Amino acid sequence: MELNANAFGRNARKALHDKTLQEALGRTTGRFLAHRDAAIAAFPEFEATRERASRIKQDALDHLDAYLARFIAEAEQRGAIVHVARDAAQAREIAARIARDEGVTLAVKSKSMASEEISFNEALQGAGVTVVESDLGEFIIQLAGEAPSHIIAPAVHKTREEISRLFERHLGEPRTDSIPELVGMARRHLRAKFLSAGMGVSGGNFLVADTGSVVLVTNEGNGRMGTILPRVHLAVVGIEKIIPRMADLPTFLRLLPRSASGQAISSYVSIVTGTRRAGDPEGPERVHLLLLDCGRSAILEGKYRAILKCVRCAACLNVCPVYQSVGGHAYGWVYSGPIGAVLTPLLVGLPEAGPLPDASTLCGACADVCPVKIPLPDFLLELRSDAREQGWKTPGEIAAMKGYAGVMKRAGLLEAIERIAGVLGQFFTKGKGISGLPYPFSGWTERRDFPAPAARPFRKLWKIKRGVTR
Amino acid sequence: MRAEGPIPVSLFFTCLADAFSPGVCIATVEVLERFGATVRVPLSQTCCGQPAFNSGNRKEARAMARKFLRSFPDDGYIVTPSGSCAAMVKHGYPVLFRDEPPMLSRARAVGERIHELSQFLVDVLGVTDPKSDFSGKVTYHDSCHLRRGLGVVEAPRKLLRAVPGVEFVEMEESDRCCGFGGVFSVKYPQISCRMTERKVERILATGASYVTSGDLGCLLSIGGLISRVGYPVKPIHLAEILAGGTGRPSSFAADAASGDARPPGTVRGAGGR
Ligand code: SF4
Repeated sequence: MELNANAFGRNARKALHDKTLQEALGRTTGRFLAHRDAAIAAFPEFEATRERASRIKQDALDHLDAYLARFIAEAEQRGAIVHVARDAAQAREIAARIARDEGVTLAVKSKSMASEEISFNEALQGAGVTVVESDLGEFIIQLAGEAPSHIIAPAVHKTREEISRLFERHLGEPRTDSIPELVGMARRHLRAKFLSAGMGVSGGNFLVADTGSVVLVTNEGNGRMGTILPRVHLAVVGIEKIIPRMADLPTFLRLLPRSASGQAISSYVSIVTGTRRAGDPEGPERVHLLLLDCGRSAILEGKYRAILKCVRCAACLNVCPVYQSVGGHAYGWVYSGPIGAVLTPLLVGLPEAGPLPDASTLCGACADVCPVKIPLPDFLLELRSDAREQGWKTPGEIAAMKGYAGVMKRAGLLEAIERIAGVLGQFFTKGKGISGLPYPFSGWTERRDFPAPAARPFRKLWKIKRGVTR
Repeated sequence: MRAEGPIPVSLFFTCLADAFSPGVCIATVEVLERFGATVRVPLSQTCCGQPAFNSGNRKEARAMARKFLRSFPDDGYIVTPSGSCAAMVKHGYPVLFRDEPPMLSRARAVGERIHELSQFLVDVLGVTDPKSDFSGKVTYHDSCHLRRGLGVVEAPRKLLRAVPGVEFVEMEESDRCCGFGGVFSVKYPQISCRMTERKVERILATGASYVTSGDLGCLLSIGGLISRVGYPVKPIHLAEILAGGTGRPSSFAADAASGDARPPGTVRGAGGR
């Protein structure tokens, strides 16, 4: 998927003026949040479960090599073919080769953020394969030629009118504003694809090391059809999705749907363990697992390791006031909201995603809801510091900060400046708020006043009244 | 009330209040003295370094933190009318000095000493009756750093409810960020403003005459919007409510602030009265 995270500011301003988007964001994030809050309130073991999940993930990451080796051995023993891709280019190559070797011309795909990272669809199209998105939301945005804007509700930015128009244009369906009818149209269209596709492509929510299984948590049956009906199944999953044991899975199955959509349990949990065995009534004859490193090993080595605990529940997006204001596309890549603001710069580098770590007030709401306790605001702060250390701050900002520190190091100098500012402030504003500040503060006063500095700062008042000089 | 005899308190008045709302500092002193504190004001203090820290400029932030540690060398409590500055000292300094063991232990020690005003009154002094004669319908905005950074949720509410003249009303989404976020409001003013607008909508929906908070930063943003549009609600710092309100300058404030154009209980530039 195309990367334009550096355009965050521009994207955000556009999003703020997009009425449809604004309505959709308010509606959807509000609903997810309300459901989540209710689900967590009705789940007294939440804190304990969260703590356990966080520890399991930490253990998985601390010994990722060993668990990965175990996963690969177990999966291969059950007939799966495992590929590990160092980077996106290699991943695309492998994916295209698999499709060619398996003689596939049509693939149905569902549930995979990781595949967005490597521009999977383009890779397959390059190999002459048509890829049809089979999750309703993904299907809609594929028709629209857009990218997902939310982890679990990729088409959150689309209205039903827009969707109906898309279905009319691309599927020849009559216009309707009934959601069940729209769903029915998509279903009819997709069923045909499932039956004729040579390959089903999926992501994976968890990789279970001790059984070699890929676990898919979904609310649509499509994911299951994609893994069962076609002859070949290909799962594209990041290596960090490992959990050590099948016995750990229930912990995550309790947390994920509650955090994501506020459901106590998701509609479907598919556990794909190897190929179809003799006597199995269904299942793929061939299973390929494409495990993506794509920068994850590097993250694992450093201070941001815990970001790889993420289970992609999107709770942090829904609760983030910045995400709620600008939506997912503003973040300019696969991941959005607080998780995107941290993960994107780590995966693609700060030069490609510099504005994202600054796109937060550090309010901390994301860390409050994260089911695996990722310290997202701390990581945002670290990334801002990395940006300074690696020389990605603007000379203007550095100069401003140096000036600020130069003043603040001396109380006397600060006092002198306050005195001048106080006089000027009173003179120009007559004690009222300031309604127009110069650049770079002009944005601040576009719709808000800024207070005029006091004629006499507190330090001065205190000296006068108490006669104290220390 | 816990204390026998005077409790020495050093006031960290914060650079923002010093320059823009000295009334908030005065109110803080008054309240502390009312409950038996002897307030010392180290005059060499400036800024906790939060703007530098939050924007990733750690070298400058460390210089500020060192300066802060020098300005508050003694034992005893440090009290500040700002949740976010207290959180900076408590949680930011240990990060800044994580590779400098001697400084780290000093930073941790100072983190133990620092308290936000309402937290100090309720948790340390055990104040149940703030003895304030403020009157009006008041709603409270949780600043993110006070609530999530310091875990202070109930103390300000308890104090507000205990003021006989205060009719306290909760707003919806009281714990939602107001959009200020320091440097964020300069880097992304449009997003910041959108968040502030949503906050102000919630405030107006309560029909309160005052919106209060434990952080001046939030009140700058909220008050700035209120002032621009002229909404019928007045931002006021929690310390000012606890001190007894606006238009009734105390003896200290009366002489000290004579010549100052406005009563001390006024967030400057945040008019709309
Ligand atoms: S960072 Fe936490 S809250 Fe956000 S998507 Fe990942 S697991 Fe969910």
